Amino acid sequence: MTSLSAPLGRQKRARRFPVGLLLVAAPVILVVALVIYPILSSLSTTLNVDVAGAGRFSLANYARFFSDDQSLRNLRFTAWFTTTTVALLFLVCLPLALYLRFSFGRLPAFVQAIATFPLFVPGIIVAYALIRFIGPNGTLQSLLDAAGLHGYRTPYLTTWGPVIGLLWEGIPLTLLVLVSGLSQVPQAAIDAARDVGAGPLRILVFIILPLIRNSIIVALSLEFLRIFGAFTQPYLLGPASPESMGVYMQRTFGDLQDPVQAATQAMITFLCCSVAGVIYVRTIIANRRAGR
Amino acid sequence: MINRRQLLVSGAALGALGVLPVRSAFAADRIDVFTSSDSNVSDWIANSVKPAFEAANPDLTINIVITRGAGGGGLAAIADRAFAAFQQKADPQVDFFEGFNELNPKGAIEAGLWTKFDESNLPSYGKVNKLGIETAYGLPYRGSQVLLAYDSTKVKEAPTTWEALTAWIKANPGQFIYNRPDKGGSGQNFVKRAIHEANGRDPSLFTVANFSKESADKMLPGAWKILSDLAPSLYDNGAYTAGNTPTLQLLANGAVSMVPAWSDQALQGLAQGVLPPTIKLVQLQDLALCGGFTHVTIPTNAAHQAGALKFAEFLLSEAVQTSVLKDLGGFPGVDWSNLPADLRTQYADVIPASIPTFPSGDWETAMVDGWYRNVAPNVNRG
Repeated sequence: MTSLSAPLGRQKRARRFPVGLLLVAAPVILVVALVIYPILSSLSTTLNVDVAGAGRFSLANYARFFSDDQSLRNLRFTAWFTTTTVALLFLVCLPLALYLRFSFGRLPAFVQAIATFPLFVPGIIVAYALIRFIGPNGTLQSLLDAAGLHGYRTPYLTTWGPVIGLLWEGIPLTLLVLVSGLSQVPQAAIDAARDVGAGPLRILVFIILPLIRNSIIVALSLEFLRIFGAFTQPYLLGPASPESMGVYMQRTFGDLQDPVQAATQAMITFLCCSVAGVIYVRTIIANRRAGR
Repeated sequence: MINRRQLLVSGAALGALGVLPVRSAFAADRIDVFTSSDSNVSDWIANSVKPAFEAANPDLTINIVITRGAGGGGLAAIADRAFAAFQQKADPQVDFFEGFNELNPKGAIEAGLWTKFDESNLPSYGKVNKLGIETAYGLPYRGSQVLLAYDSTKVKEAPTTWEALTAWIKANPGQFIYNRPDKGGSGQNFVKRAIHEANGRDPSLFTVANFSKESADKMLPGAWKILSDLAPSLYDNGAYTAGNTPTLQLLANGAVSMVPAWSDQALQGLAQGVLPPTIKLVQLQDLALCGGFTHVTIPTNAAHQAGALKFAEFLLSEAVQTSVLKDLGGFPGVDWSNLPADLRTQYADVIPASIPTFPSGDWETAMVDGWYRNVAPNVNRG
């Protein structure tokens, strides 16, 4: 994970041997064959409409998507739970990362182990475990009842269901990227600020946050990409309607047997995600330039 | 002393020698059976059907491939692959589909992908329950029916008509839930029962062949009205679970007190103690909830088509059909008259006089799409 935000420029620039080209050839060919080619093929499928046996360029498939209430509702819902979850991830992980960076001993190590644990739990297990925990008559409700707090309403099968599941799943990656970013904040800078009388909040806002800006962008854009295409958590924990784009695509493809419309939904999802992708790539490039 | 590289090379060569003959010997008579049925069914096939078949046919082995996944399961993709292989005249690498609707992929029957069953290739075909046959390309070998499962500590008098059921749901808000119609048969057949209710309780109005958009637009909205009307009285003002299992989970932990459930899943759950013994089952008497038969399909281009047909014939044997009833909690795929008399008396209560069905294919697609457009969004969670 460190390589994502580490200033790569410090490494010696490799001489351009053909061997180097050969080494990158394999991943490049894979990306072209498994990513670029399918994208282009989907794009041409969705932009062609069959008129009397001949394919003709048309935006009809996209027009159909954007004039359909259900599709728009699902797209809006996906955008909503993605931005909400990403924002919550930032709010949860930043304090945790600061704590892990600035404290020492056994407890922080334990906290870090707990926080990275979700990385090793498959999504479907998380979903069923959460149903038992936050679901009706689940552990949480029993605990609240025992404490005399009644009137708990479970988020299971509501729009907040997937947010909770995806948040739990997303903590490890976000945390690891933020911690690695924080580890590059020089202690000297913080000490210097403290010497001239800056309080903790000032140090956070004026020293730490600007220094880990790239890590934050990298972490959040990666999470954005993961959550926008999420399937399992919205499928099992979310409401029947609206659906996440992932669930909607699968249903359009599998149940409604409408591959062209499913490809159109996929292209629109891809366009939304590519915004985050562009931000991510630009950050990485800026990192490299800064490090040069 | 040999170095590491030599060791690796010779090891790999030895390994290849060891593997090759075994694999080709297996491939000659290995029937690849693909299934996406729930684990109760795939376990039953793996643990009781497969050993019995292999004992009876020492020259054949069964290779069970489980493709359970989201929605329609992985079988649709395998069938697409078989269809593509059919068009390319290649080996589909699958011999047998357990639980697949022969109307898919579109155009496959017309193109000749699926084997047509009759008494010449399947001697027991005449015994098959006529209620279950949709086309001759799918073989119904087991069935089950949806019924109502309820918590007898909370429900004193279980409803036995649709009218009584809807009245009960409205009188006990939040105590009933069914799953989304595309994510599991129990909720799906509840929706189908609402469609039957809206059309004079006459399942014969819907056939595989009579679908048209006009008739769907005329015959389905009545059901959407019934179901939307029920929505505010459902669990959490109109929540729908994502499958048969999550629905039973809510019943088992007491969050709701009545759900539609598959007969086989509920009976097995009770037998294994997953469902508390206070859960009771009841069927509607005015028109039963729909049931369905699980179909077998065999690609005509399967490498072991003859072996696959042998396996299909084995599934129709008395031993397997009795086991469907006794071990799986399902209904036999053969007509009840072909089962031993003592079993017929023992299961007299669950032998359905009729199993209403609803055609798959276009009607089902229209139902799922209509439900998602008209019923699911109709939620007011203040």
